[in-house]
Amino acid sequence: MSLNRREIPGFFAVDKLHFPRFATDSNANGIKVYSLKAGSQNAIRLDFVFNAGLINQLKNAQSSFTASMLSEGTKRHSAIELAEALDFYGSYFQTKSNADDAVATLYCLEKHLENCLPLFLEAIYESTFPEKELEIQKKNGVQKLKVSLKKNNYICRKSFYKNLLGEDHPYAAFSEKSDLLSINTDDLKQFYQTNYIGGLKFLLLSGNFNETTLNLIQSCLGNSVTKFDEKEKGQPSIKSKFGKEFIEKTDSVQSAIRIGKLSIGRNHEDFISLQFLNLIFGGYFGSRLMKNIREDKGLTYGIYSVLEPFNSASMWYIDSDINTKNREIGIEEIYKELKKIRTEQIPNEELISAKNYFLGSFLRSLNGPFSLADRLKIMVDNKLEANYYPNMVSKLNSITSGDLMTIANKYLGEENIVEIVVGKK
Amino acid sequence: MDNGLTVIHHLDESTQLCVLNILYRVGSRDENPEKTGFAHLFEHLMFGGSQNISEFDTALQTAGGESNAFTSNDITNYYVTLPANNIETAFWLDSDRMLSLDFNQKSLDTQKRVVIEEFRERYLNQPYGDVWLKILPLAYKTHPYQWPTIGKEISHIENANLQDVKDFFFNFYAPNNAIMVVAGNVSLEETKRLCNKWFGPIKKGDTIKSSYKKELVQTEARIEHIYNNVPLNLLVKAYHMGGRLDSDYYACDLLSDILASGKSSRMFNNLVKEKRLFSELDTYISGDVDPGLFLIEGKLMPGIDFEAAELAIAEELEKLKTELIPQDELIKVQNKTETNVVFGDINILNRAMKLAFAEFIGDIELANTEIEHYLKVSPNNLKEVAVKMFVPENCSTLYYHAKK
Repeated sequence: MSLNRREIPGFFAVDKLHFPRFATDSNANGIKVYSLKAGSQNAIRLDFVFNAGLINQLKNAQSSFTASMLSEGTKRHSAIELAEALDFYGSYFQTKSNADDAVATLYCLEKHLENCLPLFLEAIYESTFPEKELEIQKKNGVQKLKVSLKKNNYICRKSFYKNLLGEDHPYAAFSEKSDLLSINTDDLKQFYQTNYIGGLKFLLLSGNFNETTLNLIQSCLGNSVTKFDEKEKGQPSIKSKFGKEFIEKTDSVQSAIRIGKLSIGRNHEDFISLQFLNLIFGGYFGSRLMKNIREDKGLTYGIYSVLEPFNSASMWYIDSDINTKNREIGIEEIYKELKKIRTEQIPNEELISAKNYFLGSFLRSLNGPFSLADRLKIMVDNKLEANYYPNMVSKLNSITSGDLMTIANKYLGEENIVEIVVGKK
Repeated sequence: MDNGLTVIHHLDESTQLCVLNILYRVGSRDENPEKTGFAHLFEHLMFGGSQNISEFDTALQTAGGESNAFTSNDITNYYVTLPANNIETAFWLDSDRMLSLDFNQKSLDTQKRVVIEEFRERYLNQPYGDVWLKILPLAYKTHPYQWPTIGKEISHIENANLQDVKDFFFNFYAPNNAIMVVAGNVSLEETKRLCNKWFGPIKKGDTIKSSYKKELVQTEARIEHIYNNVPLNLLVKAYHMGGRLDSDYYACDLLSDILASGKSSRMFNNLVKEKRLFSELDTYISGDVDPGLFLIEGKLMPGIDFEAAELAIAEELEKLKTELIPQDELIKVQNKTETNVVFGDINILNRAMKLAFAEFIGDIELANTEIEHYLKVSPNNLKEVAVKMFVPENCSTLYYHAKK
């Protein structure tokens, strides 16, 4: 029998998303330790999550420098001694400051945890912020900033947040050269004391570990580490400057473009619908923006729309680099697509394909211990129910084209838009 | 298979996913020097419609799958991940585009524009984006590694025509020139059945690989100065090293870790932190199959001249040539490599690609034994390799000046 290659082989829609069991333990001081066991390689990741993000800083560069200086010296070890010891056991110590928190992470093979964990905890809890190390980081930071300021997309991103949220909003806190030069060890020590020593939100262990490892972590934590008491605090005010801004960069062959507006957070009842609508609009390779502006017209290497839900403000934006000559056509097409998604029903075929892809993408992101840990962190951060991901299947399947049009008119309207273009006139 | 397609099956019952990875034995080293960037442009065209399926991505996305590809100097690698029970969709799609593309002019025109934008975005519109375009032709005079995968220049992409596309396809995209890996929660029986059904009917091709010139041994130091609108001076030094199967490969990789990987590395501590010569410094190997490059790349601090920076690098290299690396320092970078290997193996797609690549270079066992090669390296090996490699006449140096 000859093979009919034009006939699509049968396939199944994802009908179930499985989220593995995870444990939630509390130590004597009430610190929560989430642990998620998955994978077959004996590799583990341990995250300490602190209330130490951009939202918590009192001056620019405080959050990022405190995070990057954690490993630069303790009462007992110098920066190089810490690095030597952690590297010797093949481990990685990373710190990252985010919009709403800062995370210190240890990656290592389980067999080396016993040797790495005390050093990791020492770096986190006995950091001394030596002057000399800070001076080096500040100067290197200034150098890096000079390079960033030559990138159109950096300037575009910065202006977008400044215009949408306001010059002084914590999420729009981009460090200037003067910020980098003026930060001092007292600023870091003060932030450290409040937001690290007194700011541990929770721990997250993931990978393929055994009970001994969990006990080791509990016993090393001891009684010295205190729990962060979450207090209601006021939200920073948003002072938007809507409209278009063009920033001239004479020597560029492409323009960086960001167009977007304020949006909704994960706990909003429309979030999943909007997340799904965003996927159709510009959230994946098969999206409308990508199909039209890249795959049909070849105006760009890539164009995406992104929903960025933070605790104190959420944003939705379109992001692309388009060649200078075709920039106006590109921008026009973006607005055409926006209008289309608000005024025309999404065809059924496109809807089904996007639903299947959306669920498939969750299947991919719920695979492997560290990818699962990222999802678990989102659940903890946003206090989502344990069945959030499994429940997504039925929620998604109930969404209709009509619902999406309502969502588009609610959240993708052309009022209150910020549009930034950086490039040659 | 009878048509020459190599198939590797890797079962992992712990996942709900599957991967179909196809490596074609063609990269930018196989290109005509007057038509560079073609292998990569071609990779884009593989998503533009095949003989019986007009839209590759839409069909795949409808089955919950996702796909991408990359082109290197040596290979072009395509991968699809999807729910394990939909594996047949991947077989259907990938066999059809191996059978024949639909060779449409519109797809070619659009993808030429997309690739030109990629060229601009990554190589021209970024500070230092053109470093690779400058250092490769300095280091290689005869071997095709002298151009990057994106191509020498935009005009080569602009000039590509449909006949080039057809010729390239029928020469290189044949089952006997491909290695396929089926990984994930799919049984061996099912894999065999699907292979026979979808790939069995595809005929063997007559792939002809034009032989390219080997790189002659470099006999004198090469230098080039460029001046550009960048904020900091950048120094790049490229030394010739062995190929992927050369016994020195692992020693070179470890040497690059010893010099500049992580906060305990030598150059980071001595040149970035102590002497304050650089704000950033990195060393790495190109990892190519044919003899590749060992690179040192650093951004200079304000007020530091190239001469002082270069001298300090030379001192560090001299130490590697004259003193044995302490055992503890070697164990450190070996442990670090072990961590990298284990963490890399967590991801099913990584495992699939690793298997395909190991088979491509002729030793599939490498997928399991790579770490042993790193553990076998001794302080003496490292010293011997350093003595041989770090000599001025084996080096190409790029002085990238910040234009005042």
